[in-house]
Amino acid sequence: MKRAELVFERPEGTFAHEPPEVRGRGRDDVRLLVTRPDGHHHARFDDLPQFLREGDLLVVNESAAIPASLPAQGRVGSILLNLCTRFRSDLWIAEPRWSAGKPGPLPVEPDEVLRIGSATVQLLAPYPGIPRLWFASADRPFESLIAKHGGPIHYGYTDAWPMDTYQTLFSRVPGSAEMPSAARPITTRVRKRLEEAGVRTAPVLLHTGVSSLEIESETVEAQAMYPEPFAVSPETADAVNRTHASGGRVIAVGTTVVRALESAWTPEGLRARGGFTRLFVNPDRGIHAIDGLLTGFHDPVTSHLALLTTFLGIDGVRDAYAAAIRAGYRWHEFGDSHLVLR
Amino acid sequence: MESPAPQKVAVITGASHGLGRVVAGFVAKQGYSLITMARGEAHLSAAARSFAAAGVQVVSIPGDVSLAADRHRLVEAAKQSGRIDLLINNASDLGDSPLPALEKASRESFLRVFEVNTLAPLALVRDALPLLVRSHGLVVNISSDAAVGGYPGWGVYGASKAALDLVSKTLAAELRDRGVAVVSVDPGDMRTQMHQDAFPGQDISDRPLPDVTLPFWAWLLSQPPMKVSGMRYQAQAPVWEVPA
Repeated sequence: MKRAELVFERPEGTFAHEPPEVRGRGRDDVRLLVTRPDGHHHARFDDLPQFLREGDLLVVNESAAIPASLPAQGRVGSILLNLCTRFRSDLWIAEPRWSAGKPGPLPVEPDEVLRIGSATVQLLAPYPGIPRLWFASADRPFESLIAKHGGPIHYGYTDAWPMDTYQTLFSRVPGSAEMPSAARPITTRVRKRLEEAGVRTAPVLLHTGVSSLEIESETVEAQAMYPEPFAVSPETADAVNRTHASGGRVIAVGTTVVRALESAWTPEGLRARGGFTRLFVNPDRGIHAIDGLLTGFHDPVTSHLALLTTFLGIDGVRDAYAAAIRAGYRWHEFGDSHLVLR
Repeated sequence: MESPAPQKVAVITGASHGLGRVVAGFVAKQGYSLITMARGEAHLSAAARSFAAAGVQVVSIPGDVSLAADRHRLVEAAKQSGRIDLLINNASDLGDSPLPALEKASRESFLRVFEVNTLAPLALVRDALPLLVRSHGLVVNISSDAAVGGYPGWGVYGASKAALDLVSKTLAAELRDRGVAVVSVDPGDMRTQMHQDAFPGQDISDRPLPDVTLPFWAWLLSQPPMKVSGMRYQAQAPVWEVPA
């Protein structure tokens, strides 16, 4: 697939700048675009149970967001070091940025030193194929820097909100650099109605890194990916396999869940698996483990959009996004939701 | 204040070029002191100077891993440090270039390739075992996709690496009780001198440079060694699994 195929235009004002609860609204008070083979349906998020049925399985990500954005000082001035992937307490992949609204790559060199409070952080080497990311080591555990100096990673279109804003009903294991946001509108009320409708949930774990990669290579499939820790338990692998065997649908809540499930997929079905994955779900590879996807709206030319295209086809994505733009749906982590069933 | 952790020590063979050089440099940046071996003295000392820029101690020992006397000097250097946390058996011999079909491969070439690629890594583990046991070290044997490929021309080299894979897996089982971990790693296609020798005169510029494997090394060196012992990894694969 060519990079150019993932380009689309959006009018101004399609970004959600704040979570609905800051205006006194519920988290589930967002819109839901449902894309099915029979067309698009415009709904509210709390209508979700109506589009699912008994025997369906929602797979959710248990990873909780951490305050992974660290203010740092270096030769280039005051910058942000956004942590991405933890290898061990003193070694991460990280993204040095000018600021929340101004990305890199920064003019930094291998072995360059940054200061975070009294700690010394060293940028060891650039990440191969992704120039904005670096291997970063520290003279003490990054966890202590996160606890002392960390704030939520955010970008120019929204402020930093309290950390609670970035957790979902399913957040249990801290480790994601950014919120796995697809489950954000699932409130206890929505969850109860899903349960009453006979829709079950099963957890996976994937600690997500810094936000969806913008694809830089001409051919989408050639884009380098960074690794993320993941785990699919025997219980969840079993629940997915039994759902498929009994004719139910497996619906991933978020692209992180798709990557975890696809990383554990084999032609004989899902198996329990854990480790690190940098699986790129793209049209060349295909998508095997899911029958539905609940997600947000994704930016042009990103790996998330490539994933959605794999599931829905490029014409399907263009059609759905044209409908979403016409009807004024809002993009990004505090925006509206998109349920895709095939 | 807790006492500082002891300086970790890595022994890396074939460290003057290609993959070995890139991995050794990255291991040094992660704070390991290095003990390196390669046959070419000039290239090895140039590489050693670049490794030392990370601020760690670097000992370079010119030599051939297939020679017992040279291996002995390598292990003696490690004894000075008192430990081996990481042993990377990377030095490899491709055999004849251009690569011969098996029906044309010479017995001498076969023996030489097995000496370097299969027997030397095993011998080095044996020589270094007391230090590996004391440090609960990780042994990494560098394999190849040719070990499972059946590619025409790659029979000699591939067979030596297939044998090394089985040596790795067996050693992992045999050394588990003593706390020594063993993995084999297929680094994947890369733009290196060895790869060029396998395809003399051909353009291999479409292959990635050896730094394409850095994410894998960052990951592997962060795992508790016994959790991954016995595994065979592909450094460029999308998933690196930790068995349950």
